Amino acid sequence: MAKKNKKNISILIIGFLILSFIYNHNFFRKLYNIYVINHESRLAKKYGYCFRESVGFLKMLKKKYKFNFNPLIMNYEDAVPNSGWSIYDNNYKTDNKHKILLNYPKNLSLYFKPLNKIFYSEGTVKHSNGISNIIFKLKNKHIRINSKIKIYRKTLNKKDIIYEENFHKLIKNNQIIPIEFKTKEINSIYKPTYIEISNLSGDQIKKINSITLNLDHEFNLMNFTIIEKFNNCYYVK
Amino acid sequence: MTEIIKILIQILFILFIFSFPIALLENNTRSKISAFSLIDKLSINLIFFINILFFASILNINSEYILYPYVILIIFFYFFNFRKFNFKNIKLDYYFLVLLFFIILISIDIAHELYFAWDTQSFWFFKTLNYYQNQKFENLKNLPVFDWPHLGTYIWSFFWKFPFSGYEYFGRIAYAFIYVLSIFSITEILKVSTYQKIIFAIAIISLTYNYELFSGLQEIMVFSLILIASKFAFYFFEKQHKFRLLELTLILLAITNILCWVKNEGLFFIYFLIFCIFITKNLNLKIKTLLIVGSLTIFFIRILVVNYYEINFNAEYFELRETLNFEIFNLFEKIKIISFYLLLYLTQVPIYLLTLPILIYTSFKYKMKDITKFSLFFLILNLFFIYIAFLFKSTETELQIRFSMKRVLFETSGFYFLAIVIFINNYLHSFNQKIFSSFKKRKY
Repeated sequence: MAKKNKKNISILIIGFLILSFIYNHNFFRKLYNIYVINHESRLAKKYGYCFRESVGFLKMLKKKYKFNFNPLIMNYEDAVPNSGWSIYDNNYKTDNKHKILLNYPKNLSLYFKPLNKIFYSEGTVKHSNGISNIIFKLKNKHIRINSKIKIYRKTLNKKDIIYEENFHKLIKNNQIIPIEFKTKEINSIYKPTYIEISNLSGDQIKKINSITLNLDHEFNLMNFTIIEKFNNCYYVK
Repeated sequence: MTEIIKILIQILFILFIFSFPIALLENNTRSKISAFSLIDKLSINLIFFINILFFASILNINSEYILYPYVILIIFFYFFNFRKFNFKNIKLDYYFLVLLFFIILISIDIAHELYFAWDTQSFWFFKTLNYYQNQKFENLKNLPVFDWPHLGTYIWSFFWKFPFSGYEYFGRIAYAFIYVLSIFSITEILKVSTYQKIIFAIAIISLTYNYELFSGLQEIMVFSLILIASKFAFYFFEKQHKFRLLELTLILLAITNILCWVKNEGLFFIYFLIFCIFITKNLNLKIKTLLIVGSLTIFFIRILVVNYYEINFNAEYFELRETLNFEIFNLFEKIKIISFYLLLYLTQVPIYLLTLPILIYTSFKYKMKDITKFSLFFLILNLFFIYIAFLFKSTETELQIRFSMKRVLFETSGFYFLAIVIFINNYLHSFNQKIFSSFKKRKY
């Protein structure tokens, strides 16, 4: 009798565990979704049509243009990996002339906020060709800087310098100061970038609200023929 | 509806493939293979089949040439055994039914979630595509991370291609199959009733399962194979010699070969496991020789393939130049970072929270058995490996740890279920008695 009770309790526990597993992972809803939504739509919903990985846009292009090559795919969204996998075909070669630019921003820029004695960018950037200009957002109308400006990233305690130049200027609020420095080292989606203006006093740092670094596009739309466009996603040649 | 039916057929197809050769060839009474349970037989079959797939992949044999003869053989043996089959003796194996049910549940989750992890999108899926699109091993050179092992992705592409050649996730259902099978395999060795074993298995699945594991990453394969290897390693320490050590050794070596080609660290983990058996179990010379020669052969096959296909390890990735140029300050800084994240991530992989205290408790509280020593040595080697592996990343230690340490910890976490097995099988009885006697003392 005791053995039978033990068995019944075990079966009850198993039932409870299975039901809680099903409930926790929402399996009935998922089963229903698989039944009513087809695979392609589910895929586009997960990866986005023209946002995040933009797999929906890529699949549409492959279907429409029946590629017999692998186009070069650049995704400007830095929180996701390249989505080339979704249309890649090992039977074809990569054709660099055909480019797909996903989530293409009008302006590439990094925005720096003050952090103790330096300035720190939370955002990252990719597919940039260099620094175009720098803009200081000030509390006052202007500020004089007689020092050196350093743009770098950190690895452990080592600074990897991207740009370093003497900076002697009277800077007005929101003034565009051209830099014109070609570099691809600014491209990194893994680590934040820092700006350090040496010999700047605490008072002077307090006068700077933020710094914006405008960057050049590696792939400028002006240089290409647009074949297909949907929002910020482009197929160009 | 078609998609759901296809998922069910895919699971049956995988089961069909993994039913050969052991389950169908067990009539040889001289073999002790009959002593293995159904779950063990399925595990051995999958180990056997994956090894065939491995040789097909490096020898550039079209997967169709593997599948068709294999299916023909299975059908032949089913017909051959059909006459001997006694339908009156059919019993419902609830253990196996619950296993199948969980494979279906996880397959549904995979079919619904679909998304790939970052590494899958960047690296692993390209390898899968390579085989799915009938390319040769050499073509991997044109894809990212040629030096990363390919076998897990080959399995994915195989079950994606067969039987339907439909959606890519059909291939990942094989991962779900191996994962659930490995968990039901380890709980099988608990000395409790079948229902209680099922409870443990579901509890472990609930504790470990999340979709991310099946998002194309290879860690789930390492986890499952280490779990299966732990089960067979456990048999080495069984007092009643139901199984031949020779058979167990061959199975372990076959798993070693698979892990060697699934993920680089997988090879280290399985070598640690073999080494721990070696030093804690009194083995005869024949088995010792087989373990050493087998392990070395597997390693040399790897070197041979690496040299033949001119696979160059990415020195830039491992940052060998910087790594060998240690600075004491950096070394201490890195050890500090690794220790901090190790403690942090140990608390984030719930299996460790459960199993490590049990392992430590049983080692200090009771007389230490060989199997407990075996688990402790593995733990020490495992932790040692984690320190060494991350110290090797010269510059980006913290970043690398944040990306991958949790996954590396997860890979071997399955092994520590042995701590629960040891505790329940050997000490739970005396543990209960102690509690009961202290309760009695207090009462009177």
